[in-house]
Amino acid sequence: MFTKIELKKGVNLYIRPTEQFKTISMSFRWTAKLSAKQAASRTVLSNVLQDSNEDYPKQSDLRKALDELYGSVFYMDSGKRGNSHIVSLNMECVNDEYLQTSGVFDEVLNMVSTVIFRPNLKDGKFDETIVNREKRSVMERIRSVYDDKGRYAQKRMLELMRPDHPASISSNGTEEDVQNITADSLVETYEKMLTEDAIDIYIVGDIKQDTIVEKIRTMFDFKEREISYERYENAPIEMKETRQVFEKQDMKQGKLQVGYNTPITFFHKDFPKMQVMNGILGGFAHSKLFMNVREKESMAYTINSVYSANYGILYVLAGIDAQLEEKAVTMIQEQLDAIKTGEVTDLEVDQTVALLANSIRSAFDSARGQIELFDQYKQLDENFNADKLIAEWHEVSLDDIKRMASTIQMELIYLLSGREA
Amino acid sequence: MEKITFDNLQETLFHERLDNGLEVYILPKRGFSKTYVTFTTKYGSIDNTFIPRGKDEFVTVPDGIAHFLEHKMFDKEDGDVFQKFGVLGASANAFTSFTRTSYLFSTTQNLYESTKVLLDFVQEPYFTKEKTDKEKGIIAQEITMYDDNPDWRNYFGTIQSLYEAFPINIDIAGTVDTIQEITAEHLYECYETFYHPSNMSVFVIGAVDVDEMMDFIRKDQLGKSFSEPEEIVRKYPEEPIQAGQKKVVLEMDVLRPKFNYGLKCNNVSIEGEEMLRQDLAVNLLLDILFGRTSEFYTTAYAEHLIDETYNYDFTFEKGFGFAMIGSDTEKPDELEATIKKTINAQKTEWTITKEDLDRSCKRRIGQFMRSLNSIEFISNQFTQYNFNGMNLFDVVPALEKMTLNDLKEAFQTVNNEESHSVMTIIPPVKEG
Repeated sequence: MFTKIELKKGVNLYIRPTEQFKTISMSFRWTAKLSAKQAASRTVLSNVLQDSNEDYPKQSDLRKALDELYGSVFYMDSGKRGNSHIVSLNMECVNDEYLQTSGVFDEVLNMVSTVIFRPNLKDGKFDETIVNREKRSVMERIRSVYDDKGRYAQKRMLELMRPDHPASISSNGTEEDVQNITADSLVETYEKMLTEDAIDIYIVGDIKQDTIVEKIRTMFDFKEREISYERYENAPIEMKETRQVFEKQDMKQGKLQVGYNTPITFFHKDFPKMQVMNGILGGFAHSKLFMNVREKESMAYTINSVYSANYGILYVLAGIDAQLEEKAVTMIQEQLDAIKTGEVTDLEVDQTVALLANSIRSAFDSARGQIELFDQYKQLDENFNADKLIAEWHEVSLDDIKRMASTIQMELIYLLSGREA
Repeated sequence: MEKITFDNLQETLFHERLDNGLEVYILPKRGFSKTYVTFTTKYGSIDNTFIPRGKDEFVTVPDGIAHFLEHKMFDKEDGDVFQKFGVLGASANAFTSFTRTSYLFSTTQNLYESTKVLLDFVQEPYFTKEKTDKEKGIIAQEITMYDDNPDWRNYFGTIQSLYEAFPINIDIAGTVDTIQEITAEHLYECYETFYHPSNMSVFVIGAVDVDEMMDFIRKDQLGKSFSEPEEIVRKYPEEPIQAGQKKVVLEMDVLRPKFNYGLKCNNVSIEGEEMLRQDLAVNLLLDILFGRTSEFYTTAYAEHLIDETYNYDFTFEKGFGFAMIGSDTEKPDELEATIKKTINAQKTEWTITKEDLDRSCKRRIGQFMRSLNSIEFISNQFTQYNFNGMNLFDVVPALEKMTLNDLKEAFQTVNNEESHSVMTIIPPVKEG
C-alpha cells in the first residue's frame, strides 16, 4: 500500500498517493534502542524541537506561521514499541486544491526541514530556559498518570509484572532521568538521533510521487547510517504462582487488572490466532467477558481484554465494586477456561473475525491509521495489506483458539480501590 | 430527493424528508471503505420536563433517563443487539448528550443488513421491569467511574456552578440514587414522546450508493406504522444571567490542582445563521485571546501557570452556551487573575486587529477542512448543527464573512464577570 524508496542506507521514504483526503499528512520517525534514560532525553528533546527553531525562536511566532498556513498541524511525540523508542514529527496541511491560495505544502515542507536541521541553538547549546521549562512539562506529564486511576492501575500492573523491562519503561522515561538532563546532554541526544537512528518518512495524500521524492531527497539530506536492527524477543517467563497486589487511594470504584503471560508475541507465527482468541475473550461487545460479567451479572460497565503482543502479555481490565473482586476474578477465569475447553460457538468466532476485519479496514480510513498500522506490520511484511491479515484470521480454527488460550498463564491480580472498601 | 453540492469542498449531500417525518441525509465519500450510519433523536438529558404523548400535563422524569433508555434499547426479547451487529461485522455504539441520543454503527460489509438492524432496534422498544432493574448495576458502575475521573468532575462541576436552573446542570447519566427511581413505564413514556420519526434523523456517510440507500430506508419506513407526528412540548426553567456559584473547590485524590474557568454565554435564544456566526465568533475570540499565539498563553506557560493539559473550548446549543479555560496548575489563584485581566483588558481597550482575525480564520478554515477527513466528525457535527437550524457546510463561507464587529458582539455575550465561575479540584488536604 506504501511505495518504499530507500533515500540513503537506513533512511527510508514511504509514500502513498491518494485522493481520499483533503489534507496531506507526513510523519518522520526516528527509532533507537529503548532505555529509560534515552526515553527521557528524547522526549524532552522532542518538546524542545517543537517549541522553536532558528526561523521562529519564539513559540508564538511559530504558531502564528502555522495558523497562516491554514492551521497546519505540527506536533512531536515520543512512543515505544518492543525495545525501540520512537520520536515522531507529525505535520498535516490542507491540500492547496481546497484553498484560494497555493504553495502551502511547499512552505510546510520548509518548516519541517527547519525544525529538524536548524533548531534554536545558542553557542551550540539549547536555550537553558526552554530546556528547563520543557523538562518541567515532561515531569508533570509523567506525574499526571497518578490522577487518571485507570491509567495508573495499568502502569502499576506492568511495573509489577515486568520491573525494569521494556514493557514497563515509560516512553517519557522517569522523573529522575528527566531531572538529570542538561542543555549540553540534549545536544548530544539531538546529534545522535539525527545521525544514528533509523529514519522512516511517511507521506499520505494527493501528491505526485516523482516530484515528492525529489523534494524530500534534496530538502532532507540525512547521512547514511548502519542500522543494527535487533528484533525484540521476549525472554521466557518463569512462573511460580499468581501474585495478588491490592493498593488503595481515595476513590469509589475498584480498578481490577488481571495480567497473563503468553509465549505468543507479535513475531510468532501464531500471532493472528491469538488476536482472534483475545477478541473472543474480551475484545468486543459480543465477547465472553462483556456478555457474562457485564450483561449477565451487571457487575461492570467496562470490562475487556487487551493483547499486548509486543511483550507477550494479555490483560483483563474492569471497573467493579471492589468488594466483588474475588467473584470477578473467578468469572474472568471461567471465561478463559471455557475457551480452553472449546466452549466457543461458530457464531462467536465469525463475529470476532468480522469485527477484527472491520476494525482494521476502518483504521485505514484515516491517514494516521494507514501510517500507524503499516509502520507496525511492515516489520512482518513490507508488502503488508489488510486483506492478507484478514485472510489469516479466517483460517483460524477452534483447535487453534483452544491452543492459544492454553498458552496463557495468570501472573498477577492487581486491584486499585478506595480506602474504606 | 434534494441534492446539495458544495463545490469548493467537493462534497455532495443528499436529503429527503420521508412521509413519517424522518429526515434522511446521505453523503457519499470517495476512497473510503467504511460506511458510518447514525440514527439520532432530538432528545437528551435536558429534556426532563415535557407533556408526554397523549397526555395534557407536564411531567418531570428522574435524572439520567435519556441515557438509561439508550442502554435499554440494546436489550431485546431475543437477546442483545450487539450480537446481531457482530454477526454482520458491524461495530455498533450509542451515546447520549445534553440534547441528543444517537445510535450508530460503522461497517465495511453487509451495509443494508446492518442498516436494517439499526432501524429496527431503535424503532421497536422492549422494556420490562426485570431488565430495567438489572441495568441499574451496570449504570451505577458507569456513574462511579465518572465520579472517580477528576477531569470529568471538573468539567461537569463547572457547568453546575454556571447553571443554577437550566437542566444542563443534571449529570447526563444521573446519579446512583436517581436511576433507582426509573421504571419500565418511564422508559415507554419517554420513548413514545421522543422517538417518533418526526423527531429523528438518519445520516449515512462513506462508501454508499445514494439511490439504493435512500430507497432502502424509504421502503423500510413505509413498511412500519407510526402515529401522526405531534409537536413535542418541553419546558425549561428561566436561567438567571449570573453564575449560580462563583467558586467551587473539590478535594480528590490528585497530585496537582486542576483549574477550570467557566464563562456562561448570555445570548442563547438564537438559531440558524445568527447562531453559527456567534458560535464561530466566540471560538475565534478564544483563539485570539487564549490560543497558543496569544500573549496570555506565552506568559502563562512561561510563568508556569499552565502546562501541557491547558485547554479551552466553547459549547453552544439552543438554550445554553459556555466557554471553558482550564489547566492543571500549582497556582490556581494567579491563573484566575491572569484570565480575568486578559478579559478585562479587552473591555477597557479593544486590541484585536483585522490581522489577528484573518489569521485565526485561516486556522479555523484549515481545521475544518481537516475534520472533513473524518466521516464520524461530519456525521455527528452535521446532526448537532442541523438540530440547531445550522448547516455544517456553511462554516467556511461564514468564516470568510466574519468581521471585527462580529467578534466585538460575541465578546459582549461572554465577558460579564457575574456570569463566570471557577472550579478547582485540589489534592486531599492533610489533617492535623
